[in-house]
Amino acid sequence: MTRGLSMPGGRSLLVVLLACAAPALGQYDYHRPVEAAPSEEDIGGGYVTPAVQRPPPRAQWREAADVAVLAAALSLGAWLVLKRRSRNGLVALTIGCLAYFGFYRQGCVCPIGAIQNVTVALVDPHYAVSYFVVAIFFLPLLFAVLFGRAFCGGVCPLGAIQELVVLRPLQVPRRVDKGLGWLRWVYLALAIWFAALPAVSRDFVICRFDPFVGFFRFAGPLHMHLIGGGLLVLGLFVGRPYCRYVCPYGALLSLLSRISWRAVSVTPDKELDCGLCAEGCPYGAIEGLRAVRSSCVSCARCFDYCPRHRVHSPERSAASKVS
Amino acid sequence: MNEKPTRRDVLGHAVRGAALMGMGGVAAYVSRRAGPEGAWRIDVERCVNSRHGAVGVAVCDKCATTCVLPLSAVRAVNDHAKCGRCYICPAYFEITSAIDERGLPSQKLCPRDAIRRTPIGEVDPRDPANNYYEYTIDEKLCNGCGKCVMGCKEPAGLSSIRLEVRYDLCVRCNRCAIAVACPDEAYERRPVQT
Ligand code: SF4
Ligand code: SF4
Ligand code: SF4
Ligand code: SF4
Ligand code: SF4
Repeated sequence: MTRGLSMPGGRSLLVVLLACAAPALGQYDYHRPVEAAPSEEDIGGGYVTPAVQRPPPRAQWREAADVAVLAAALSLGAWLVLKRRSRNGLVALTIGCLAYFGFYRQGCVCPIGAIQNVTVALVDPHYAVSYFVVAIFFLPLLFAVLFGRAFCGGVCPLGAIQELVVLRPLQVPRRVDKGLGWLRWVYLALAIWFAALPAVSRDFVICRFDPFVGFFRFAGPLHMHLIGGGLLVLGLFVGRPYCRYVCPYGALLSLLSRISWRAVSVTPDKELDCGLCAEGCPYGAIEGLRAVRSSCVSCARCFDYCPRHRVHSPERSAASKVS
Repeated sequence: MNEKPTRRDVLGHAVRGAALMGMGGVAAYVSRRAGPEGAWRIDVERCVNSRHGAVGVAVCDKCATTCVLPLSAVRAVNDHAKCGRCYICPAYFEITSAIDERGLPSQKLCPRDAIRRTPIGEVDPRDPANNYYEYTIDEKLCNGCGKCVMGCKEPAGLSSIRLEVRYDLCVRCNRCAIAVACPDEAYERRPVQT
């Protein structure tokens, strides 16, 4: 302010400041009556200084509990898909995880967004990443190497919300599907680039354009709700559009699931090659009558299309009711 | 039952092992500087509304306007131990407004009327100017607009009011909208202090 006065052309600045800082300027006429806070004795009348209300921060054990819940959910998901072959169980897990990670924990921090935190931690020595965030980032990747995309199947709240709206999925032509899939890598590269910028210009674009976190919080900027709503409408007919064409973490998971130790197979034992499952996957992951590891999101939908599964399934009767 | 592992199996194990070791390496490297979970906090010494010396500048209301929550997670907090309990508080009153019949400024500073003014101690009703007053901020009304913080700053006040992120309200966005908007880099994620 005083600097502005002494500068040439500071006049217009002064006018602007006068307009918006009038109360502060008025302080020059006002004189503070005291130099220090009065003591309780000065005030008298048995006055007791009230404590400043200060809500405690979220306890560290609850952060640790989140990581434990994530590990348990991933294990359960892998078991339900690979061993139990239970779509019903997986839907229950999906709803549970949507409720916990989505609506209760309100989305943040998720492994997708953690890409950025980990990137910053790699390039910026002053950035204090939390070890819980590191764990949340690496756990689903570890599971992908062992059991495929168990995280996408029943745990990820962003996947879950899309999984639950799939109504009448169209088969996207294979070449279009593959081509659009590269967008994930472009997005991943952009996200890493923006996160790796120096602190002043750094941005977390994945979080900025997170489509569903606004729903989880019932709040947020308009553009988030528009993107999210648009994706959900699209998701009625194109299964999981965010997962297949946008999600940068999905790109990492699909890369790692290529080498996974165990993977979804449509048939429980013998492959009949009857072709009944070919159209069964809403996500275009069945190619040549086999589930392709990289694009299979471990949703367990295809099992019901397989005659061998119907015969061998432990929940045969329930399975016939599920579309 | 156990078949002899094929070459493909062995190769698969090798690739998986390499991938796991690579991930482990990155995780270990990143974890060297990892700490406990952080929470968003305001550095009072950097926020323009509370920074000493920043007098006569515009109030920053970014904390009130940019938070993703409908009512921001930031609140003004009056540290009673530092408050002078003045008769005419420059954070409570709009001290440039006209003086009314009580001899007090006729307008309040807080646009949301979130500050309560209560006479305390041995109250002398005939001489209100000689009383002490306690100023309490109503957490349900305040949106952290920062006006009162600026108003209370030295030399006008005793700088007893500051802005704080309320841990129980903040949903801890990974990309905090206020941190992005804060012109003074005063908004940081730091390990919580308990
Ligand atoms: S692809 Fe991404 S958004 Fe979809 S379920 Fe997997 S991690 Fe979640
Ligand atoms: S804003 Fe979205 S992408 Fe970012 S951490 Fe939160 S949930 Fe994840
Ligand atoms: S920060 Fe703004 S809304 Fe809150 S008490 Fe101060 S003036 Fe009122
Ligand atoms: S982290 Fe989110 S809720 Fe908390 S202050 Fe920032 S924008 Fe508001
Ligand atoms: S945005 Fe920054 S400078 Fe503005 S009130 Fe908040 S902490 Fe202070």
